[in-house]
Amino acid sequence: MREEEGVLRIVEARNACELGRAWFGDGVVSSEIRVHGEDATIDEALDAAAELLGAAKRVLVYLAPDSTCEAQRAAVALADHLHGVVDDITSSTAAGGVLAAQRRGRPTASLGEIRNRADLLVFWGVDPAVRYPRFFSRYAPEPEGIYVPGGRRDRTVIAIDIGDERGPADADARIAIDPDVEQSELARLSAATLAGSNGAAEVGGALAALSPHFDSARYAAIVYDAEPPVPSGAVSTADRSWRAEAIVLLAQQLNARIRCSLVPLRAGGNRNGAEAVLTWQTGYPMTVDFSRGVPRYRPDEPSASLIARGAVDAIVVIGNVRAEGIPPMDGVPRVSIGPWASGAEPAAEIAIDTGVAGIHEGGMAFRMDDIPLPLRPVFPGESPWPDSAAIVAALDARICARAAEVLR
Amino acid sequence: MALRITGGEVYDPTNGVGGAVRDICIDGGSIVESLPDDAPRLDARGMVVMPGGIDIHAHIAASSVNLGRRLLPETHTSDPVRAPDLIDGTGRSGSGGTIPSTFTTGYRYAGLGYTTVFDAAVAAVAARDTHAQLDDTPIIDAGFFVLMGNDDYLLRQIAAGERERARDYAAWLLRATGGYAIKVVNPAGVELWKRNVRVVNGIDDATLGEGLTPRAILETLADAANELHLPHPVHIHCNNLGVPGNVATTLESMEALGGRRAHFTHLQFHAYDGGEGKPWSSGARRIADYMASHPEVTGDVGQVMFGPATTLTADGAVEYLLHASSGRKWVNSDIEVETGCGVVPYEYRDKLAVSALQWAVGLELFLLSSDPWRLVLSTDHPNGGSFMSYPELIRLLMDSAYRKDRLSRVNQRLLAGSALLDGLDREYTLEEIAIITRAGPARQLGLVNKGHLGAGADADITIYSRSENFAEMFSTPRYVFKSGTLVVDEGQLRRAPEGKRLQVQPEYDDAVTRDLERWFERYASISFANYPVAGAVRPTPER
Repeated sequence: MREEEGVLRIVEARNACELGRAWFGDGVVSSEIRVHGEDATIDEALDAAAELLGAAKRVLVYLAPDSTCEAQRAAVALADHLHGVVDDITSSTAAGGVLAAQRRGRPTASLGEIRNRADLLVFWGVDPAVRYPRFFSRYAPEPEGIYVPGGRRDRTVIAIDIGDERGPADADARIAIDPDVEQSELARLSAATLAGSNGAAEVGGALAALSPHFDSARYAAIVYDAEPPVPSGAVSTADRSWRAEAIVLLAQQLNARIRCSLVPLRAGGNRNGAEAVLTWQTGYPMTVDFSRGVPRYRPDEPSASLIARGAVDAIVVIGNVRAEGIPPMDGVPRVSIGPWASGAEPAAEIAIDTGVAGIHEGGMAFRMDDIPLPLRPVFPGESPWPDSAAIVAALDARICARAAEVLR
Repeated sequence: MALRITGGEVYDPTNGVGGAVRDICIDGGSIVESLPDDAPRLDARGMVVMPGGIDIHAHIAASSVNLGRRLLPETHTSDPVRAPDLIDGTGRSGSGGTIPSTFTTGYRYAGLGYTTVFDAAVAAVAARDTHAQLDDTPIIDAGFFVLMGNDDYLLRQIAAGERERARDYAAWLLRATGGYAIKVVNPAGVELWKRNVRVVNGIDDATLGEGLTPRAILETLADAANELHLPHPVHIHCNNLGVPGNVATTLESMEALGGRRAHFTHLQFHAYDGGEGKPWSSGARRIADYMASHPEVTGDVGQVMFGPATTLTADGAVEYLLHASSGRKWVNSDIEVETGCGVVPYEYRDKLAVSALQWAVGLELFLLSSDPWRLVLSTDHPNGGSFMSYPELIRLLMDSAYRKDRLSRVNQRLLAGSALLDGLDREYTLEEIAIITRAGPARQLGLVNKGHLGAGADADITIYSRSENFAEMFSTPRYVFKSGTLVVDEGQLRRAPEGKRLQVQPEYDDAVTRDLERWFERYASISFANYPVAGAVRPTPER
């Protein structure tokens, strides 16, 4: 870090990958508080926000990526007290896998377990190098592990190429399947695996070549994209849940004979944290409607749909409004709390800039395998930005006080 | 607040009070000897006064618990919970079912008069998650037990004969996580499951290697807990949970630790006779007999209650079997070469022979127990049933006519010759209930300021209106105080203060951290510096 023209900047992010360097940037973010475009104090902004939300009939509290769990916890409380709807980006980008796992369960492992144990890696139409440049070197197949001491040498890597969705380039073997038959071929392999565990396997079809690899594995990991591209014309990936479900079934059947775990590749920004917090506070990982005074699970009506059909008349966004995959919120009055909140176009009615979690603000975040990690601010000293969790909690306190007053 | 609770029938077994009419005085968060005569009074005439309940073994805030919550939207949908009408307007809605949301968990425990709860199985690497969940679980004081029985670094030390380093590591883990006690789940068995070995052949099974037997793991961790002077001894979930004939393994484990303090948990799941061609039957009497003559052994029952449950445990292998045999949905999570986790929803049905046997085994353990101080109440929530079923369980223990009627309606195929069917007339007294739900757990956990009503104790107090129906009486306390705050007033939850975190800070030789750092550099997926929970150890840790 270096001070340039009175501003402390990040000049080098050591050990960071390309994505990490871009994420850190120079560490300089805006620090504005705006009410209807005018500069305001934090109290003025919170009062105006409470006013706006108090007058709304149905508020959406949206957990955008890049928030700490602390901010997310306060945000769910706010939604509860507002009798609003709370949602996270999962409902747009990863709903299919979540719903499949709720129907079937899911055998998984943390990435440290995979690093130390997995001797077979099957990449299901995904190459982690794109979203996780360090996946291969940090987790698998490259590191030496306790039960795979030879690292890459001790592991078999299979790429399943499904049309354009291709596995890693340096796989030991590749199996190509036509996207049109993926579903039926997965079902066929699962059925054969089930039969095989009963002593009579007859695997045919395009995935037959995969079976012997499973047979000789001690601990297999199937890596797949838990945030696949949203099909055109759809608001979420929910209708692609068949793939996640078929992979879950296959992995569950395989555990009759070998050990097999799934590695769903999520995107970053502590979206796993939003799901975890929502789950422990409400019982559900996404799209929770408090309008009847109790949490109701509405995966059938994600925030993108609610906004599109005009079903909410105010939105509180917490987190990074620039993150990819957030539904468009134009035309609905907004309270925006997070990094770059004041720079959004069109402007939010109330915008409170905060620092970036992990750069300016500390807290807790979940890795994509649900391992909780500490976030520490890299900037020294007291942050000039308001703490996002404290801001949301202060807004919540105003809402509670208003409600208590009405009762009196 | 200062308050004199006057005229109540007091059950305070620690101080030898068994139903005498006494005044209890509260000042601030503690119980005091006396108060001036003009202090405010709460008239408790005709009511029963006990210390707040203490749950020694439940699953309420671990990463596994949240995996369970996520798996079960349907059970939450069937039990939506409104926000309680708290005086300050901050009440939170939630969902119930077998694994309630965090706020609802705190409210419901308090609503039953329970004020202290321990989460019995926390993966060390996920301790940060548990602290955050507990921060959202109001009212109750809480602590947790840290899973160690299948941890790679620990197993290495045992294999190398480095038992002192193993002890130092255990101490380091407790401090790094902010935990309260050492937990062992299926020693060696979880690591074996990850290696696709699904059977543990007794406590001398050496599949993991020479010297790395369940026995060695149990001995090392039992000694560690005792040498570190931890308030609670090693908390053991034995090998072969749920398997017919497993009482032999359980007794072997108890014998292996002969003379050492040790706590054996959810014994019901480990007290089955039969197997190997013989019908599945109760082994409860063998456990009761052993415990009667071995005062160093403590335990909790892990009663099965009929109705929905969710099985969730670090014992991943067991959950696979349950999934395969029941066809129910299944989550498994292998965690960082430290531990495992499995979740399967389940239902115990009185018309099913095995469910009925499990139910009977638990009741036999209670009714044959010679010392209520050493065998205390649990359902291994949510495994054997929800903590919400404790009042019903208390009724089964206190009312033999009710119990007999219930017994007459269960499947008795596997109960032939069982003590329960032969007739166990014992009825627990209110004093004994106060022991198995308060004073006993406090003593086992080494909580000197809890589980009793003497001067200096935390002012955690539950006041019940008497009823002939004990289930009714224990499900709806009239008043509950937590740290001196009146949280339940006239049966209504009105306040929800934050609970305290219960934790220990054992000393250790720092040499272990240098060696451990090398292990982290070589094998871990997170950095050594990021592992400990900053602030896990609060400024004034509670005991």
